[in-house]
Amino acid sequence: MELPLTALREGESGVITSIRAGFGWGKGGGYGLQKRLMDMGLTPGTKITVVKSAPFHGPVEINVRGYRLAIGRGMAEKIFVEVQK
Amino acid sequence: MTMRKLKFALAGNANVGKSVIFNQLTGLHQHIGNWPGKTVERAEGTLHFKGYTIDVIDLPGIYSLSTFSLEEIISREYIVNEKPDLVINVVDASALERNLFFTLQLMELEVPLIIALNQIDMAEKKGIKIDLKGLEEKLGVKVVPTIAIKGKGIYELLERAVEAAEKGSAKPAIVRYGEEIEERIRRLTETLEKIRLKYPARWTAIKLLEGDEQVRREIYDLNPEILQLAENLAKEIEEIHGHPCPTVIVSERYEAAGKIARETQRILPRIKPSLSERLHEVTTHRILGYPIMILIVLGIFNVIFMFGGYMSETLSNLLYGYEKIFEYFFGSNPLKEIIWGGIMEGIIANITIALPYIIPFYLILYILEDSGYLARAAFLTDTLMHKMGLHGKAFIPLMLGYGCNVPACLGCRIMETERERFIAGFIVTLIPCAARAVVILGLVGSFLGLHWALALYAINLIIVFLLGRLAFKVLPGEPTALIMEMPDYRLPHLKTIIKQTWFRLEEFLKISFPLIIISGLIIKLAEISNLLEPISNFLSPITVNWLGLPEITGVTLIFGILRKELTLVILATLLGTTNFQETLTPLQMFIFTLVVMLYVPCIATIAACIREFGWKKAAAISLLEITLAISVGGLAYRVLAALNLLGY
Repeated sequence: MELPLTALREGESGVITSIRAGFGWGKGGGYGLQKRLMDMGLTPGTKITVVKSAPFHGPVEINVRGYRLAIGRGMAEKIFVEVQK
Repeated sequence: MTMRKLKFALAGNANVGKSVIFNQLTGLHQHIGNWPGKTVERAEGTLHFKGYTIDVIDLPGIYSLSTFSLEEIISREYIVNEKPDLVINVVDASALERNLFFTLQLMELEVPLIIALNQIDMAEKKGIKIDLKGLEEKLGVKVVPTIAIKGKGIYELLERAVEAAEKGSAKPAIVRYGEEIEERIRRLTETLEKIRLKYPARWTAIKLLEGDEQVRREIYDLNPEILQLAENLAKEIEEIHGHPCPTVIVSERYEAAGKIARETQRILPRIKPSLSERLHEVTTHRILGYPIMILIVLGIFNVIFMFGGYMSETLSNLLYGYEKIFEYFFGSNPLKEIIWGGIMEGIIANITIALPYIIPFYLILYILEDSGYLARAAFLTDTLMHKMGLHGKAFIPLMLGYGCNVPACLGCRIMETERERFIAGFIVTLIPCAARAVVILGLVGSFLGLHWALALYAINLIIVFLLGRLAFKVLPGEPTALIMEMPDYRLPHLKTIIKQTWFRLEEFLKISFPLIIISGLIIKLAEISNLLEPISNFLSPITVNWLGLPEITGVTLIFGILRKELTLVILATLLGTTNFQETLTPLQMFIFTLVVMLYVPCIATIAACIREFGWKKAAAISLLEITLAISVGGLAYRVLAALNLLGY
């Protein structure tokens, strides 16, 4: 089942299917952010695990490629994953 | 003996111990400045080794060589244009895959390379063992294991680096993309080889397919047809893969990095979580995290203001003691007044603020940063900062602002976009710095009680929040999301921290020192030529009628632009007493302090703003804050008087 990253509970894992931030050939911030996420290792097919979800609609901390990354909630909502049991 | 000259560049991700290696290599022979025309720090140093004079440059910590940030562009421009003899790629052994993704990009840029595999002790603690020989063979690059904070492996790194630099040639890039991509890279490379390029042709081809804005622009200027070809080829790749071409290329490059990492490291599952992990757990805990953060912040302020207050007083008593000796030599005449009052007092003020407050503040802040705590604080405060259109990282300059607004303004560089730098810069200038704390605690705190002083801090936070929110709504543009690595907790390296503090102090003095002295002289001259009274008269509609303050406060507010804590000193001089109770009503004390807290950043902060944001924005910030202080002050005066909270 494909869900936004924010739907995962702490300790749950998923494989990235898509990042739905505005994409274009270098137009505006959407592309830049998506590129940034990919540079940090969040490419489609990558397995990620939610380590922690900050309260008050705060950022999500994930484990990706052997390190920890914090992603703002708004951005995390645009990252879609296939949940792994 | 002839000295051979070499040029090394240190490159790598953030939080890998790069600046520690830089310090180990260059020791005291360093120069820290800015990249020409850019607000990014540039650290250079020189060392002598076996008959070589080696210039080392520490490039900013980055995760990729794309164009997401200024730091990335600067790094790659440096490598391409300056052509260092060798790039020392500092790799964090405990996050090999992500670090190798960067290494592979350096190799695509075809630079002579050596790898410092750093923090192997931390990797071992995480149960990671790396096969050095295997890694060397897979990459075709020399790998030297190091533990920089203990100085281990540094000598060997230097020996190998000189050897590698002498050989000089770059290793061919080892990333091979899928055949359908390679074929298109080849076609593009062949076309690119026909034109004059400063970049390697294959790298340019890959970057064009990745949609790199800067390379696209440069190629467009040279030959628009090539750009068209690249776009067509990228579309073909997109059709084959069902993903945009940049995604495909980055994915495959990461796959290559992942493959090398998997083949060369062994990870043993850990039974017991390490201390670092347990600390992380507690400090980001959804409930415990917040009280811990508040305690840490309060603890820091407590230490700094107790220590700073004591040191500041001691130093100032000591230095003012020289006035008598000074008088003995110069006598009591206008010249003495100008030299002592204008110049010496400026120097004293710099010393009594810089040493006691700024040094400890920076030391503690760098300890928090290097240990990894600031990343946790940013994680916890992200939501709050988002309300002001910023993200968690803005917490760092905001904190700095409580020490001194000058470094806080410079600290806004950590924000990614121009817009965020400006919003952050605007709100940090409203944060009551140590100098303003002197007035808040010295006037309101001592005469009205600590709760009124705290009320001022609370009012300040509300104003900061509301104005931040307003700026966020008014200024065009989208907020950037937080994307931040959470480094493992580690012991900070003391020498590196001291050095960072020292350079910050130097930067502060360079900005503030000349300004304070020049403006001190001007005001002294104004005083001698009896200009102060007309100024006070001129300002009286605002000070007396609107704010309900005595007329002489007009002069003190002018002086305050130089340094906020001066307002209190001048007030005492003009009133002829330090027992303000005799001359000011409680309400006047409160309103005066409120205005001092808000009305304009001091002249050194304005200079820092000009440097970071330009004339126009600095002027806008200053005017806005003067208006704000007068409006809020007048309103508070009327509200408090009506409620009769502090008398009339």
